[in-house]
Amino acid sequence: MTKINTVNDLENLRNKILEDREKFRATLVICGGTGCQASRAGGVIDEIKKELDNHGLNESVCLRTTGCHGFCEQGPLIVIEPDNLFYCHVTPDDVHEIITKTILNNEIVERLLYTDPVSGNLIKTESEIPFYKAQDRQILTQNRQVDPCSIEDYIAIGGYTALGKTLFEMSPESVVQEIMDSELRGRGGGGFPTGLKWAECREAPGDEKYVICNADEGDPGAYMDRCVLEGNPHLVLEGMLIGAWAIGASQGHIYVRNEYPLAVDNIRVAVQQARESGLLGDGILGSKFSFDVEISRGGGAFVCGESTALMASLEGKVGEPKPKDVHTVIDGLWHKPTTLNNVETWANVPAIMKNGSSAFAAKGSKGSKGTKILALTGCIKNTGLVEVEMGTPIKNIVFDIGGGANNEKPVKAVQTGGPSGGCLPVEKFDLPVDFDELYDAGSMIGSGGMVVMDEETCMVDVAKYFLTFLQDESCGKCVPCRIGVSRMLEIVTDITEGRGKLEQINLLEELGDTLSHTALCGLGKTAANPVLSTLRYFREEYEIHIEEKKCPAGVCQELITYAIDPESCTFCGLCKKACPHNAITGEKKQAHEIDLGLCIKCGICRSECKFESIIIN
Amino acid sequence: MTQQVTLNIDGALIRAAKGTSVLDAALDFGICIPHLCHVSNIEDIGSCRLCIVENIVNGRSKITTSCTLLVQDDMMILSNTDKIRRLRHNIAELLVSEAPNSRAMQDIALRCGVEETRYSFRNNDCILCGRCVRACTGEFGVKPLGFVGRGKDRRVEAPFNLRSKLCNECGRCIDLCPMVMPACDGPMETGKERLCGNCESKLSDTDLTLGYCVGCYFGEGIQCQRSPINV
Ligand SMILES: Cc1cc2nc3c(=O)[nH]c(=O)nc-3n(C[C@H](O)[C@H](O)[C@H](O)COP(=O)(O)O)c2cc1C
Ligand code: FES
Repeated sequence: MTKINTVNDLENLRNKILEDREKFRATLVICGGTGCQASRAGGVIDEIKKELDNHGLNESVCLRTTGCHGFCEQGPLIVIEPDNLFYCHVTPDDVHEIITKTILNNEIVERLLYTDPVSGNLIKTESEIPFYKAQDRQILTQNRQVDPCSIEDYIAIGGYTALGKTLFEMSPESVVQEIMDSELRGRGGGGFPTGLKWAECREAPGDEKYVICNADEGDPGAYMDRCVLEGNPHLVLEGMLIGAWAIGASQGHIYVRNEYPLAVDNIRVAVQQARESGLLGDGILGSKFSFDVEISRGGGAFVCGESTALMASLEGKVGEPKPKDVHTVIDGLWHKPTTLNNVETWANVPAIMKNGSSAFAAKGSKGSKGTKILALTGCIKNTGLVEVEMGTPIKNIVFDIGGGANNEKPVKAVQTGGPSGGCLPVEKFDLPVDFDELYDAGSMIGSGGMVVMDEETCMVDVAKYFLTFLQDESCGKCVPCRIGVSRMLEIVTDITEGRGKLEQINLLEELGDTLSHTALCGLGKTAANPVLSTLRYFREEYEIHIEEKKCPAGVCQELITYAIDPESCTFCGLCKKACPHNAITGEKKQAHEIDLGLCIKCGICRSECKFESIIIN
Repeated sequence: MTQQVTLNIDGALIRAAKGTSVLDAALDFGICIPHLCHVSNIEDIGSCRLCIVENIVNGRSKITTSCTLLVQDDMMILSNTDKIRRLRHNIAELLVSEAPNSRAMQDIALRCGVEETRYSFRNNDCILCGRCVRACTGEFGVKPLGFVGRGKDRRVEAPFNLRSKLCNECGRCIDLCPMVMPACDGPMETGKERLCGNCESKLSDTDLTLGYCVGCYFGEGIQCQRSPINV
């Protein structure tokens, strides 16, 4: 790899790369993110390589394997540049046709086009797909433009020029000021103003300082950090380099969970490439600035995402939070001033330096600037990773991007922010994605998980799910979190199993309040949010569980029974065959019945029945 | 000489050496903030959360544990407000319902105003205050005692659950354990989540002088290190 010693070298290299690429008349962009790999993108990639060889197209068609494009449920995805033709659900068997028809003859393989589930129309290019159209993809766009294992790709799209600009045209103070002016807030959950954090760390006494990238991402359902780190590791590195220079740090750490093997691999390759090209190491780009990065793999404990626990883990100690009476910007890793930021926060930095703080601050709402990546899942038509301008109303995300409910059941609520967040009812869907507004409504953006729920979701059960998660993930150090969460779970379990009492609702609220005031770390402080927010908006569901011993959504097993509707039942016997406990009796062509004594309420009969004759009471 | 600072705790102006915790400063002065995991001269971890106080910073109240908060000049600390009492009551209630037959837990709970718990009793032998783990030094400074597991599975254990050769049998862990006092035979039955009257009888004194140490004995060995004699 060529060493890049000056900003000029960088510019020359970029021009050369672009020149070399002029020979390509088309580029096959295939998503190799974790989602698409799970749907066998690997086989497609091998097949493409073979076909390109067979047709002697290696010199004229470029193959780029990239990180996640966001629309994982449609994977494996292929985009063919320059027309940006979009093919989904591609299998190795389709490759021959793509090469012979689309690449060689400019014909479209209609079968592989995307069908809009709302209108039923076939759509040719990515930008016309409603899922993409309603987004504002500032960071995620780049995922499609670069092969994460190729520093050339990143340099080709202008990578590391922001670093050059900061090192030679700006003082560290002015970099911090620029970040302050951009009003960038941390994307890791807390929404702490990044500029303020940097300024405090810069001013903290000590000549040794650290920057850390938090890629622990433990919220169930969230995977935006994984996709950014996996798909565009150099962007995160460049952000860290800029931050380190502004703060005065010469050592950085990336704390990434080991359950993200591809992210670990890609960031390793990226760090290696950056070292070889002189973008990490001593005298970066010919300046006096030295910086290197170490990658540490986390064992996957949710609590290790918390700043003090993460630093303890980096130091080789048990990953448990410590009281933060002195902030980590002053007393952090190895008791040195430390700046910890989330992957997405770092990824926002290069663009702010390149385009200026005002360009960044022009997007977003009053208190929340820029864009936010969200992991959109649940009962909607389109799921995946989406990036929207801050301030976008929730309803736009659920209905425009997500395409609305994926069956006839109407959407009832959305859960944002994972275990620290809360559930918001449909009436609140006008609320914007904004740190403060969601917080005031009893939820939060958190790291960006967004789970859409329909009428078949029981809100008490949702609260129970998150409490179970938190009980397992609490480190157990402090009393309110360890005992408080387990007591809350005990109460909520009682409610879902028909033993609940009305006064326990008040106890839940009081306990929640105690936790939020007294727990040691953010995990315990926010642990009650799922319960408190469902109590705030869906109190009557709790009351029905307690007073009538019924689960309106038909989820809580102890409170429901299955029965066969004699009207619609055709006596086909499918349910009888499927029942693992032989609880269903009745001969062919005769009335079927469920023996409630034997029934374990597994619901298999209900999913087997073709006539929706199994009903829940 | 160590630098001295002056801070305000519950209206009293208190001088304390820099580096002291607010809890220690308060205890030395005679303001008895309930606490459990704190042991003097051992690093505090702030795990029981009983010692919470309101720290007034720029007119805004922040709730933190006083054992981990270091004294600073002009600090404003309130250790005994309605809010703190309510929260502390709830924490003590959680604690005592884990080990209702422990005298130490009962004393603490009753001091914090808990006479009855709203949770079913779990009769645990250990409430994970971590006093033993932190006091343990072992041979060569290697600790034969530590926490194992996470969350509800957290427990104190020796390596591989075997008495380690590194244990120098100093007995500190046992001295400091709040659970080794003879158990109270009153309140163990589930369904009757009431604390027995034995410890309660001592409560009347403190109720009158909330927050101030009156040499009430029941902190002995567990809470106040101040014995009534040198008050
Ligand atoms: C229990 C818990 C888990 C957390 N997990 C993460 C995480 O997975 N990723 C992350 O970036 N921040 C996480 N955070 C937030 C971090 O503590 C910290 O605030 C954040 O990394 C700071 O970066 P930011 O200012 O860029 O958001 C977590 C916090 C808590 C309390
Ligand atoms: S938390 Fe301060 S004494 Fe336990």
